[in-house]
Amino acid sequence: MTDRPDGSDQAPDHDVPIPYRERISTYYQTLGYGAPYRWAHYAEVPFTPLDKPLAESRLALVTTAAPYQPDKGDQGPGAAYNAAAKFYQVYSGDTAVDHDLRISHIGYDRTHTAATDSNSWFPLPLLREVAKSGRLGELAPRFHGAPTNRSQRVTLEQNCPELLARLREDQVDAALLVAV
Amino acid sequence: MCHQTVSLAARYLEQHGIPTVIMGCAKDIVEYVGVPRFLFSDFPLGNPTGRPHDPESQAFTLEQALRVLESAPGPRTTVQNPLIWSVNPDWKLDFSNVARLSNEEIARLRAEFDRQKEIAKGLRDKTAAA
Repeated sequence: MTDRPDGSDQAPDHDVPIPYRERISTYYQTLGYGAPYRWAHYAEVPFTPLDKPLAESRLALVTTAAPYQPDKGDQGPGAAYNAAAKFYQVYSGDTAVDHDLRISHIGYDRTHTAATDSNSWFPLPLLREVAKSGRLGELAPRFHGAPTNRSQRVTLEQNCPELLARLREDQVDAALLVAV
Repeated sequence: MCHQTVSLAARYLEQHGIPTVIMGCAKDIVEYVGVPRFLFSDFPLGNPTGRPHDPESQAFTLEQALRVLESAPGPRTTVQNPLIWSVNPDWKLDFSNVARLSNEEIARLRAEFDRQKEIAKGLRDKTAAA
């Protein structure tokens, strides 16, 4: 606690999780856009218990990162927001090999991080190690990329069913989803 | 959108019998949507699976997520990763904070946003047509 700049055991008032919805809505209103975006907000939350130990489970990795596309402009590290690198369909990749996934198509915090280490958003190499250690039964043969779409309808009616179909095909017991 | 996409996907998978855990940095968005299990890391957006170039932090963060997956007692379980980004929390004041922008910057950001939106729209239309 003595590490705090003022030597106190109390955190400063602004040391709370960033209120992104409020920040983003004020930001776009100040930029001159109309009604604020309506985020999904459900009354009920589903829950499926994990019915066997992780050490016997097949785990899938789901990411919103995008495969590097050399013809699509600067994708980092440190690239400005690059909509050309976005993708709009679910894709999959072999978990046995390494992949070059980037996040320039996402509104991450470019002031305080520069996307120089993909292990901080795409833990595939680490998951392989963890699976090998026996902590997981196994890693699913494919990871899956989920498109980030402003339209909740497109996400729910097109992308989610496709993702589910691929996970079922891979016979996974559970999924780890990483939001960049 | 990224945190909302993943939250919608987690909900959808759970409704269809697949247990999930989310790793992310935008606590308010994920909890507002409402998800089964969530490991929240209080890091700048872009680092949901640990601090960059810090394998120990990444291994610790992943293990936390796995423990949330296996031990959450019910839906809307959020666990906060105890690791911090910096002892100085001032980085939290910067993201999309209009109070910190000049009028010129706001005009420039608006033009850039419009430009990127057009690019994304073109790409979306192309995917839909394909």
